[in-house]
Amino acid sequence: MLPDFLLLFIVLAPGLAALVAGLFQKYVTDNGAMIITTGTVGLAGILSVIQLFMFAFGGHAPDAVLTAAPADGGHGGGPVHAVHHVITLFTWIDVGQFQADWAIRVDALSIVMMAVITGVSGLVHLYSWGYMSEDPHRARFFSYLSLFTFMMLMLVTADNFIQLFFGWEGVGLASYLLIGFWYHNKAPNDAAIKAFVTNRVGDFGLALGIMAVFVVFGSVEFEPVLNAIKENASVTPLALAEAAPVRELVIPFLAYDVPALELIGVLLFIGAMGKSAQFFLHVWLPDAMEGPTPVSALIHAATMVTAGVYLVCLMSPIYEYAPVAAGMVTLIGAVTALYAATVGLAQNDIKRVIAYSTCSQLGYMFFAAGIGAYQAAMFHLFTHAFFKALLFLGAGSVIHGMHHEQDMRRMGGVAKFMPYTYAAMMIGTIAIIGLGLPHTQLGFAGFFSKDAILETAFAAGENGVTFGQLAFWFGILAALLTSFYSWRLIYMTFHGPREDSIPPEVHEVDSHADDHLAQDEHGHQHDHHEDPHESPLVMLVPLGLLSLGAIFAGLIFYGSFVGHHQADFWAGAIYTTGDNHLLEEKYNVPEWVFWAPLMVTITGFLIATFTYLFNRGFGRRIAESGGPLHSLFANKWYFDEIYNATFVRGTHWLGGFLWKTGDKRIIDGLGPDGITSLVQRSSKRLSAMHTGYLYHYAFVIIGAALVFGAVIFWRVGGAG
Amino acid sequence: MGNFPILTAVTFLPLAGAVLIMLVRAMTGSQESDVASGNKALTAGLIFSVATFLASLVMLASFDIGAPGYQLVEEVSWFANVQYKLGVDGLSLLLILLTTLLTPLSLIASFGSVKERLTEYTIAFLVLETFMIGVFCALDMVLFYVFFEAGLIPMFIIIGVWGGADRIYASYKFFLYTLLGSLFMLAAVVFMYLQAGTSDIAQLETFAFAPEVQTWLWLAFFASFAVKLPMWPVHTWLPDAHVQAPTAGSVILAGILLKMGGYGFLRFSLPMFPDASELFQPFMFVLSVVAIVYASLVAFRQTDMKKLIAYSSVAHMGFVTLGIFSFTEVGVQGAIFQMISHGLISGALFLIVGVVYDRMHTREIAAYGGLVHRMPVYAAMFMLFSMANVGLPGTSGFVGEILTMTGAFQASTWAAAGAALGVIFSAVYMLTLYRRTVFGQITNPDLEGIKDVDLKEIITLAPLIIGTILLGIAPNIVFNITRESSLRALQMITGG
Repeated sequence: MLPDFLLLFIVLAPGLAALVAGLFQKYVTDNGAMIITTGTVGLAGILSVIQLFMFAFGGHAPDAVLTAAPADGGHGGGPVHAVHHVITLFTWIDVGQFQADWAIRVDALSIVMMAVITGVSGLVHLYSWGYMSEDPHRARFFSYLSLFTFMMLMLVTADNFIQLFFGWEGVGLASYLLIGFWYHNKAPNDAAIKAFVTNRVGDFGLALGIMAVFVVFGSVEFEPVLNAIKENASVTPLALAEAAPVRELVIPFLAYDVPALELIGVLLFIGAMGKSAQFFLHVWLPDAMEGPTPVSALIHAATMVTAGVYLVCLMSPIYEYAPVAAGMVTLIGAVTALYAATVGLAQNDIKRVIAYSTCSQLGYMFFAAGIGAYQAAMFHLFTHAFFKALLFLGAGSVIHGMHHEQDMRRMGGVAKFMPYTYAAMMIGTIAIIGLGLPHTQLGFAGFFSKDAILETAFAAGENGVTFGQLAFWFGILAALLTSFYSWRLIYMTFHGPREDSIPPEVHEVDSHADDHLAQDEHGHQHDHHEDPHESPLVMLVPLGLLSLGAIFAGLIFYGSFVGHHQADFWAGAIYTTGDNHLLEEKYNVPEWVFWAPLMVTITGFLIATFTYLFNRGFGRRIAESGGPLHSLFANKWYFDEIYNATFVRGTHWLGGFLWKTGDKRIIDGLGPDGITSLVQRSSKRLSAMHTGYLYHYAFVIIGAALVFGAVIFWRVGGAG
Repeated sequence: MGNFPILTAVTFLPLAGAVLIMLVRAMTGSQESDVASGNKALTAGLIFSVATFLASLVMLASFDIGAPGYQLVEEVSWFANVQYKLGVDGLSLLLILLTTLLTPLSLIASFGSVKERLTEYTIAFLVLETFMIGVFCALDMVLFYVFFEAGLIPMFIIIGVWGGADRIYASYKFFLYTLLGSLFMLAAVVFMYLQAGTSDIAQLETFAFAPEVQTWLWLAFFASFAVKLPMWPVHTWLPDAHVQAPTAGSVILAGILLKMGGYGFLRFSLPMFPDASELFQPFMFVLSVVAIVYASLVAFRQTDMKKLIAYSSVAHMGFVTLGIFSFTEVGVQGAIFQMISHGLISGALFLIVGVVYDRMHTREIAAYGGLVHRMPVYAAMFMLFSMANVGLPGTSGFVGEILTMTGAFQASTWAAAGAALGVIFSAVYMLTLYRRTVFGQITNPDLEGIKDVDLKEIITLAPLIIGTILLGIAPNIVFNITRESSLRALQMITGG
């Protein structure tokens, strides 16, 4: 690990840079803001990447904190503490047992995440010099980018749940601000709110999960909580139940008695579902593409959306002893992997294809974590960051070169205008489909990580892990679809003749009219007949560096992440039980399992090649024939429509009902207004009686006397 | 400081200012409509309220953090067994500081914004400040009641005289509700005095009322505090009062007057009626969660900016009662923190609305849109307070919410889950409000020439910005001061 002052620099400097660029933009100017933020984050990136290499290959002598991290996890219930280093800054919250510090905690997981975050962020900063060169609000943009980087670093270096939550919601804020960066338009604003609110739904679960952690363990700090699970320590849940060893502890939640670890596992995972756009809570991610493309690459592909995966891996001790919660992670992950891939088949917006691809790949990571192969999940997170950032930045380069065209139906033949971008996109595509030769070291980054996931999933299925088999088959099927839609993207965009004849009305995404307005404001002349141009060097350099990662990251780090050195590398940061040997068993799966991913990948490639390259227009004809399956995929399985009809409309209606009927009619009606009008009405009636005519009064008096007399007479008579 | 009666000084300094302004006015003769003399009066009022703030800092400095019980106690016999007795613990100390901070800020905000009867306006605010401080440091029940009720009058006048078009309806509604609650409390105060033979709060805290008596006394106090807070379903006076009140009135109303309800629960209900409090815990949880969810949903549909923020206040005060009645240290500390934090955030939000109201004279959300293009600094400040209001970690709004919910989780997972739903809805209404007013294109031509915040507005908002962030990052400043009060409020309950 790096010395303290460098760790502090990596985490805090981007935050400071964001402050300077944001608050003093008048004084530092756009260029100043760009230099400050890019320089800081770039330096942090270099340091973090060095740290990762040092950690993976320089050896980290097990220090005092490390008791054991055996390769087979053979200690079972024994204490296996993570190698970690904590710099405590100052106390944040100190109320009774509720103790949370501002701290920087570095372990193997954070080292990986720090390298991914600052590395990709540095490149995205640089890339944005070119991409955002015509935007009038560059200082604000770079300030937000650095703010995001800072928040994400706070998330992965937290030593307690509360700081994690700070980073978690902080990246949500940065994401909200960046999706809605072009705030004068409707679509980005809608998308930004949708992202924030959907994430809040997830955070509802995460917050309850953190409360449950506190109540069960009497602490919100990672070390005591995770160690208690590893040691199966006896805990006394505050006011909820009797003391018991934590793995057997049952606590009441709502109307049920549930195992404490299952409850915490499920609640935390709901948070992860929101942040990582998993099935049911995925709806915000495609819309988030309204943000500038560098943002999509950094936040909505490489880093923020992987925070959920990070959380599940960090909480590996919980999921190891919570089979139901882990089963839920596997199921949701597997379903998302397949679901998002089907939707990706039928999208025409280049960014949305990649967005659904991200969603699908996150699904792979989750089901890997769910079956217990956390290392494989982290490995895919790591390699995915390279090739997905590469694909997004490549797509951004195309969009930039095509004068802000995003509809692939209006592209085609771009390769000859943008050879470098084309090369980068090819590398990204080969990496994401996971091309590589089994049993050899020949393959792109995605090959190593995706195959590790599929092999462990198969092994898990053989072991009877919940949903393991399903995850394997969904994964294989999704790999087929991934290959198809990835090549479809390449062919539609880069090959064939240029197709700019389709009038804008055909655009299925209604937001484009707004977009054009926006870009026109930015000084773009919106002319589709202008030839595409290759992007400037400042955009191509990040593409080149990411390409290197997309090619070699898997090969270089396979041994450390999931290979024979994995136990040394993770050094206890990921915990597995004594029965979990998935990483060894993945070498012993049947021969066909090694070859299956390659086979489906080639199949997908061939189908795409025949339908989109050799028979160009075949795919479009299928789309236009509009079968039910195509409509289902193209409309994202109607999730938006269903949510609109239920949650959005429902909330709207309920709010109105409670206001107009609840507050006005019932509460005010019976309360103050009711009393007022009652008083007024009775006083009116009283005054109406005061007519002033003597005979009226006389009549009343006589009448009353008669009635009283009658009553008295009757009572007396009754007595007598 | 020796025996200098610092609390009396802090409490009555504003009143002295008010009297002085009245005397000067009487001597200089009748210049009622004179704007210059009005401004002079406002300036004088500001000087007095700043002096009060400085005096309250002296009070803070003389306060021994962590020492048990009430401090800086002053005691003079008043009548019968009733004492003029003042004293503070951590809880009251912070609420007094909040009062002395928000009053000068609202007076600054009134410059140029209020144009009629400025002298009377200033006097009303100074008198109100004295009563508010008095409520928080009175250690005698009768004295407390006097301050508590007296505070109604200046606020009633502020809304009724300097309010908007519907001010009469709003001020009567305000008066009707709060007075109704107070009558029950008065009966309870008299009854307690007769039974315990003392009206000393510290002594009453250790006096054990019979459980069945506690139930009735608890209900009587509840009637008053629930209206003040306000809790659902006696909350409907608040949106109307806010909408009609001038900006400064809203700041004080949301920032301080609402806190009297939470303060009352902690000072009276929990320590004096512990059995009844435990009995009513489920009842309070239901009302709190309903307030949070219900008010958030209603806020979402509002078309008036102030009404929206008023409903949001109802929701946020729901967290206060939720935390108090969790009977856990975490919950009570969270509730106290939530009161302070809400004082800063809601005060700031009403000032934020006031900024554009002063320029456009409308609070209709639909009249705005695209403000960011003309008012970037305003947009940034509005964003900060919106995020604080939705409880983003790093702002003070988060700390109170997470702690009260965590406290509630220990007592009832239903309550915690219900309250957490409110956290989702708060994002919905707040971001929608922000988006409709600040983002988008300018569609209302009147907004074309709108000016960004000026120096006066920055001065009023800056302390609140600092407070919101500082307390969000280092809330322990508050917890250290209030720890002893929270534990003491719980003593009877966890001990009994």
